[in-house]
Amino acid sequence: MVSSHGVSGMLGEDGIHVDMNHLKSGEVNMAINFKDGVILGADSRTTTGAYIANRVTDKLTQVHDTIWCCRSGSAADTQAVADIVSYHLNMYGVVNDEAPSTQVAASLFQELCYENKDALSAGIIIAGYDPRHGGQVYSIPLGGSLHKQSFAIGGSGSTYIYGYTDAHWKEQMTEQEGIDFVRSALSEAIKWDGSSGGVIRMVVLTNKGAVRHLYLPDNGYTGPGVTN
Amino acid sequence: MPGFDFSNYNRNAALHARGVPLPKATSTGTTIVGCIYDKGVVIAADTRATSGPIVADKNCEKLHYIAPKIWCAGAGTAADTEFTTALISSNVELHSLSTGRDPRVITCMTMLKQHLFRYQGHIGAYLVVAGVDPTGTGLYTVHAHGSTDKLPYVTMGSGSLAAMSVFESTWQPDLDRDGAVSLCAEAIKAGIFNDLGSGSNVDVCVIEKDKPTQLLRNYEKPNERGTKERNYRFPRGTTAVLNERVINKEDMKKYVTIENLSGDTNLAENMEVDS
Amino acid sequence: MTSIMGHPAGGEGIGYSFSQPTAANVKQHGFYPYTDNGGSTLGITGSDFAILAGDTRSTSGYNINSRMVPKVFKIGGEDETGEGAQIVLSVVGFAADGDALRERLDAMVKMYKYKHGKPMSVSACAQRLSTILYEKRFFPYYVHAILGGLDEEGKGALYSYDPVGSYEREQCRAAGAAASLIMPFLDNQVNFKNQYIPGSGEGHALEAKKAEPLPQATVEALVRDAFSSAVERHIEVGDHLQVMIITRAGIQEVFHPLKKD
Repeated sequence: MVSSHGVSGMLGEDGIHVDMNHLKSGEVNMAINFKDGVILGADSRTTTGAYIANRVTDKLTQVHDTIWCCRSGSAADTQAVADIVSYHLNMYGVVNDEAPSTQVAASLFQELCYENKDALSAGIIIAGYDPRHGGQVYSIPLGGSLHKQSFAIGGSGSTYIYGYTDAHWKEQMTEQEGIDFVRSALSEAIKWDGSSGGVIRMVVLTNKGAVRHLYLPDNGYTGPGVTN
Repeated sequence: MPGFDFSNYNRNAALHARGVPLPKATSTGTTIVGCIYDKGVVIAADTRATSGPIVADKNCEKLHYIAPKIWCAGAGTAADTEFTTALISSNVELHSLSTGRDPRVITCMTMLKQHLFRYQGHIGAYLVVAGVDPTGTGLYTVHAHGSTDKLPYVTMGSGSLAAMSVFESTWQPDLDRDGAVSLCAEAIKAGIFNDLGSGSNVDVCVIEKDKPTQLLRNYEKPNERGTKERNYRFPRGTTAVLNERVINKEDMKKYVTIENLSGDTNLAENMEVDS
Repeated sequence: MTSIMGHPAGGEGIGYSFSQPTAANVKQHGFYPYTDNGGSTLGITGSDFAILAGDTRSTSGYNINSRMVPKVFKIGGEDETGEGAQIVLSVVGFAADGDALRERLDAMVKMYKYKHGKPMSVSACAQRLSTILYEKRFFPYYVHAILGGLDEEGKGALYSYDPVGSYEREQCRAAGAAASLIMPFLDNQVNFKNQYIPGSGEGHALEAKKAEPLPQATVEALVRDAFSSAVERHIEVGDHLQVMIITRAGIQEVFHPLKKD
């Protein structure tokens, strides 16, 4: 017994439909280092083929107090991976009575993404702040390799902003400079990439903890800014 | 061994390779929606079940019980939505008994997504999970592959586009109970009339804190069956009787045990019969 | 061919030590110009009339293209309203082919009248339609056509076709999406199949009820009942019922509402 959901498309000859497309999330996202920590940013569009299944998705997922990730690829796969990592990091925190480092989180992500590479379609950027190492950004693309970077971009929309980010990147930016960098890079990707869109969500991770930002398309992604 | 029985997998794969078609599953090519309001949450569904282009059931139930204050609307393969929700309902009750706390919507959603993710989309259940718990109101969608979304208003199924167009054009924040119920009913009707996979009636379920959950079965019936113009009763004797043999109860007792039930209607379950 | 480089010959590009994905997922390219637009049609004849009916829903997949696309057409009329026509054609299947077929047959019948100064008989039109369909034997009109009118004796005439022109004169015929739902009902109610005369005999000797032409009012009711039933169980049938009644007085066209879910 197989069958349908049939979000759209033709009736199959046996009335059994081809499986619906995976929900794709994370059409554009990025994380950067700045003077005091890291900033993660992402659009909010989740699609099923041409249909926007969620226009206000939160792709910035917390896996520990100041370790977050940007999910892109299959929504189901990345959520499952993030849930597992979140579980392990929280266990680590309790057992060792010390918060895990960003590298530990990144290694956990890599382990899962590499060992299950045949079953997963997940591109994940991990960014975190810990007192010993400060802000760090890691990127895990499709095959499950791990790359420590000063900033990382991902998702289909990222191809449009390789040039932009490269031209505008500066080491040791201030928080405001970092926010402006992420915001303008993401709005550029949203402008050119059809499968990116919605709002821009951001998380700023410093020694003061996690601060969420929101930027709406209504005012050209200029506000409202901090939301917590 | 618990779980699914895969012993016919190889045989069926071989048969299919030789051109035997797959069996037709009853699918609830459906419209289901959910919407939160100030004090609670509403979910609603149409009542058509299809098998290909044929209507298999004109008044099926797509709103499933999970816990007294957590309900689920199901789209996709009828059997998968039915069994998945029943399994999670059972586990949620055991969990609630073991912890001594009221079950939470997020717990239920997590159990569903982990179950569905394990089966990599082969369990074709697309669900809207809703309820109230000690942490507040919850409304989620769960896709067959195991991804979830949390939103103030949601739609799923083949009629989800039609239903979402109603939400996106008329939804407003701070809805009250009646506003949410009628908005959900309108969204379902958009599915019923504009999506061929959806049809017949509107079922609604209202879940609110400190109030018993209301299941409004057939809240709206916009598609009543018309009366036929001619009478199709055949006169007695129209069908040829080629032979006749009477087997009485005493003879049957040689092969099976026969017991007479009392007139108590509770003994025989009242089954819903199609009109 | 021998290679001067260290990697195996034959492959273009860089000599990776690991395997290259073979011919990056092969895509089947195809062109399929047909669509099933759903819906159903039905024709029944009587002693001095013929009735052709069809629902007006046009579908594609799970979507409704339109709730008012007629499937039954007057053929050989004097103007675009079909005034003066004596033949009716119904087409169900791929709507674009249906329209093309109707247009062709309509032109042929009009040309016949222009050339010969008399209207085409139904039997001649039926043969011509068969030819039109067979002309496209290897790229068929994807339709199930039914042609209706009155024959030379004034009796109801009905011809049904397969997509490539095989045809037959019949008493009644259902076509399209709900044909398998309606046809058994017609067999039973029009030709009285599986109905025996009560008390006319024992067992195999029981006398079968004989089919005879039904009165017009009965047939109209049967058509409406057939469609209101088909609507209940087939998702592609609904919205409106278009009925054309062909009698000696002319063609009468009526619409009835059907369920819209």
